[in-house]
Amino acid sequence: MSDLTLLPILLVVVPLVTAAFLLAVGRFVGGAGRVLALVATLANTAIAFVLAGETLGQDGRPIRTEIAGFPAAEGGIELFVDGISAVVLGLIALVSLGVLVASFDRRRQDSFYALYVLLMAGLSGMVVTNDLFNLYVFLEISGLATYALIASDGSGRSALASLKYLLVGTVGASLYLLGVGYAFVATGYLNMVQLEGAFAEIGHQEPLVQTAFALIAAGLVIKIALFPVHTWQPDAYTEAPDRVTALVAALVSTTAAYALVRISLGVFTPAFFEANSLIHTLLLALAGASVVAGSVLAVMQREVKRMLAYSSVAQFGLVVLGIYLLNGTALTGTVIHLLGHAIIKVGLFLGVAAFATAYGVRTVSEYDGLAERAPYASAAVAVLALALVGMPPTVGFVGKFYIAIGAFEAGAWALLAIIVASTVLTLGYVMRLLERMYFADPPDSSPVSPPAADLSTDGGDPTDESATDGDHTVDEPSNDGPSNDVSRTDTAAAGRISRPLLAVVIVAALATLALGVLGSTIEGALAATVEVLV
Amino acid sequence: MPVDSILPLLAVAIPAIAIPLILALGRRPNVREGVTLTAAFATFATVASMVPDVLDGAVYETDLGTFLSTGLGDPIGFTLQADRLGVLFALLASFLWIATSFYSIGYMRGLDEHDQTRFFAAFAASIASAMGVAFGANLVTLFVFYEVLSIATYPLVAHDESEEAIWAGRKYLLYTLGGGVAVLAGTVMVYAMTGTTTFQAGGIAALTEDPMMARAAFALLVGGFGVKAALMPFHSWLPDAMVAPTPVSALLHAVAVVKSGVFGIARVVLEVYGPGAVQDLGVGIALATVAAITLVTASIIALKQDNLKRRLAYSTVSQLSYIVLGLGLASPAALVGALLHIPAHAFMKITLFFCAGAIHVETHTDDISDMAGIGKRMPLTMSAFAVAAAGMAGMPLLAGFVSKWYLLVGAVELDLAIFAVVLLVSGVLNVAYYWPIVYQAFFEDEHHPDPKPLLEFPPGGLASSDTGVEANSPRTNGGRHLATTAEPTGAAVDADADGPDSVRSDGDGDHEESVTDTDVTDDHVSSHGGGHTADSGWERRSWRTESTWFMLGPIVLAAVGAVVLGLVPGHVVFLELIEHIVDVATEVTH
Repeated sequence: MSDLTLLPILLVVVPLVTAAFLLAVGRFVGGAGRVLALVATLANTAIAFVLAGETLGQDGRPIRTEIAGFPAAEGGIELFVDGISAVVLGLIALVSLGVLVASFDRRRQDSFYALYVLLMAGLSGMVVTNDLFNLYVFLEISGLATYALIASDGSGRSALASLKYLLVGTVGASLYLLGVGYAFVATGYLNMVQLEGAFAEIGHQEPLVQTAFALIAAGLVIKIALFPVHTWQPDAYTEAPDRVTALVAALVSTTAAYALVRISLGVFTPAFFEANSLIHTLLLALAGASVVAGSVLAVMQREVKRMLAYSSVAQFGLVVLGIYLLNGTALTGTVIHLLGHAIIKVGLFLGVAAFATAYGVRTVSEYDGLAERAPYASAAVAVLALALVGMPPTVGFVGKFYIAIGAFEAGAWALLAIIVASTVLTLGYVMRLLERMYFADPPDSSPVSPPAADLSTDGGDPTDESATDGDHTVDEPSNDGPSNDVSRTDTAAAGRISRPLLAVVIVAALATLALGVLGSTIEGALAATVEVLV
Repeated sequence: MPVDSILPLLAVAIPAIAIPLILALGRRPNVREGVTLTAAFATFATVASMVPDVLDGAVYETDLGTFLSTGLGDPIGFTLQADRLGVLFALLASFLWIATSFYSIGYMRGLDEHDQTRFFAAFAASIASAMGVAFGANLVTLFVFYEVLSIATYPLVAHDESEEAIWAGRKYLLYTLGGGVAVLAGTVMVYAMTGTTTFQAGGIAALTEDPMMARAAFALLVGGFGVKAALMPFHSWLPDAMVAPTPVSALLHAVAVVKSGVFGIARVVLEVYGPGAVQDLGVGIALATVAAITLVTASIIALKQDNLKRRLAYSTVSQLSYIVLGLGLASPAALVGALLHIPAHAFMKITLFFCAGAIHVETHTDDISDMAGIGKRMPLTMSAFAVAAAGMAGMPLLAGFVSKWYLLVGAVELDLAIFAVVLLVSGVLNVAYYWPIVYQAFFEDEHHPDPKPLLEFPPGGLASSDTGVEANSPRTNGGRHLATTAEPTGAAVDADADGPDSVRSDGDGDHEESVTDTDVTDDHVSSHGGGHTADSGWERRSWRTESTWFMLGPIVLAAVGAVVLGLVPGHVVFLELIEHIVDVATEVTH
């Protein structure tokens, strides 16, 4: 057993060392980044699976690790992995692996891969730690890595978006740190387990405790990007290089939401929210507003990436709703939705990346007739989009179903209405996209892509294409906005979708379907952990 | 008691497996259609093989494991179960899929439609999910397939890819998925209250403990399913969806999709709440009232529709409400009538749609006002139309009569004579909107058709008598009639009838242009053979040459089905199934 307690440390140390090694030695070796990053992600995946095997299920036990033999009672840092953390760890490792495979490119420098594994280290650290201050450290590590990755294509627009995120993100992290300070002043502890007991002892209505929670929650909510503090997020997602967007959208907010679960339920406990009904109501209202506002804003967007970014605002509204319904069913739903949403979004953003690289299309109106040009990628994106809507039998439905039952259990009628209605809200923006892809005629010849080449490679039907060509010579001589694309280093308009990228998108689509029918398995695996938390 | 069997799964899986095959065979249409036909026959055979034992009370079950589980109640299995009610629906849908498959081949090839691969694949997907709806053993499984059905049908509604078709598709998805939201909310409530969603004959007993909550959940469930059943005020997607190719209107928008809504209501009434509880809670009468209002209103609207498919659609809205009315009344006789009307309406309405499609393919005529004398051109088609229309109106010896008889008995039994009156009034209205079509087809002359006051005049009449002879002169181009010449005679008619015609029928852009351009009209008509022109009128053809047998065969088959159901209802498996279903459902509660 002593070996197992070392594994959570390795989850952080392996990528951290890889990153440092790449920066220090990498430039002398040359081209090692790709291989080492792959090794690190694979190692983390393996570790996460071992941990999951150990902590999930009825007889799964959480794993606690003391670092360097310092017991928590004496101020040492502890790591803690239970079923939910194991699931999130597995998600982080697998998504990192998938995006890494999809973003292999000879032109990338080692610094990119270094940042990539650094982000993984930060995120894994946030999940395994059992210490509020330590969590802040990892929050900043992952934040810094994200800022740098977003600006990594070197364009002015992405630098600006990154700066905006840096300013807002730092405010969020600082608020979180202030909150941790209050908690420390109130109790003298930083360890989550000790804090839980101490808070209960001094009373949940103590102003110091209330302030500590308010600041911590505010900081994390900024990182999660709930409405109305979401404004950094659409810019960051839109301007970042496409594959970075996929990684960030799938993992960064997800991990912050995990931290919110851990701190709200594990440290402050449901009793805190019963004692402070105003804070509770405010959080629920914020989450509900996020669902509605995010969806409405998403419908209004022209650019596909921005639309998906607003969609994340809405979906995380659902996640936060699930957390604060404060019952086991809703929490199960939250975890499933976190997991499902991450997979859906990584697939969708990679799909967007595929279309952008192959055909140079970025706006909703440019997606006309994509299904004919790239049938497989389009089908995968369609499945993912429907999963986002919450169509059964995909994972999007399962999460929503559990959260809805949780809302009923809590007697929260308005929230139940929002949760089920979010299906239709999501449909509003998803259908715009699918309609274009499947029921609009493709533009005759996009200025950036050689039409003949891409048809054959993707198995599209050349006769259809040529048949419709004649009718539309006058309609749309050019699509608005291709000038935007020129500045992007990512946009090579290669005319065909790279195989690894396509494979990852398809795997993501299949995963949403597979997880959709495994709802009860996941529930069973999480049951023991959830019971402890609620 | 349930017998473990793979058959229910097979009924869903066969059409599902056909989907990738159809997609893969897109370049070889004959093989692709072979796959469709094989799947259709195999599905029907699978369902039919279950009938004898199911009649005796056996229930076939395929348990695919637990789908969802919570601490609140029983785990929800992903279970397919072929009981009598499910077999009733599955048998009907799979049998008519065979007919529709042949018909689709004739129709799609006759019009040289685009994207036929997508069409046939989506069609198979729709049938697979309809089978799932039929066999879902609990509300959640049913809901899963119900939603998949909405998605699978969407490409068929938007098939034309015209602006209008896209909008019809949007409306369709918004309505049906919106209904799905209500069903989901209702399902969540039922599960949270009782800890189960499994269908049980006579209903889930624990459900009535909190009557207010039970009523709310009933409203959500029935309201949600009611969207697909086209209950007013959620019916308007159905007439708009008529922009889809006619085989879709025939099988999906007269049988599989709309009846999945009705079927959902039947499951809720019979096996979630139970007829007794539905009556005790008072929700049955409310449902019956909504249905009664719908069936009269829709019949009246149908009178004013000039586009044949739209008139049929409003007729569907009205006829579906017969079924819902019977389910709402929930007395044994009314239930028998309601359930029997599911196959009865299916056979009759599919005949009517097949006829409308055949007329469209052969003559490119969509509007009733252009169909005077069409009996000469399409004798067999119009005869079948006449038979099915008479059945719709409830003529004895035809399918519609038997089910309506039971419904009337049910209404009178409960001392709710008002509903009996509504049913009779609706019968009269049915005559009023079907008879003119039949009459003018056989007894009017296309050169001098009789005036059609209901179609040509706005409600309340005109101030001046400037309607002119113009409106009566025959039109050559199959559809622009009202838009181009009947302007002064009634904007209301235009608004309804003009829209669907202008872009619907043909995928190719050329046709749209030729419609507006009178010079091209003659070419257009002659190229399709047998349309009527101002000079020559309808060409006279015999029943052997009026159309391809890919279309005539299904028309005859469906019409014969409608007659058989009316002549010897006791010898067709449906009535026997239904009587058992109703016996069991009412026995438990009374």
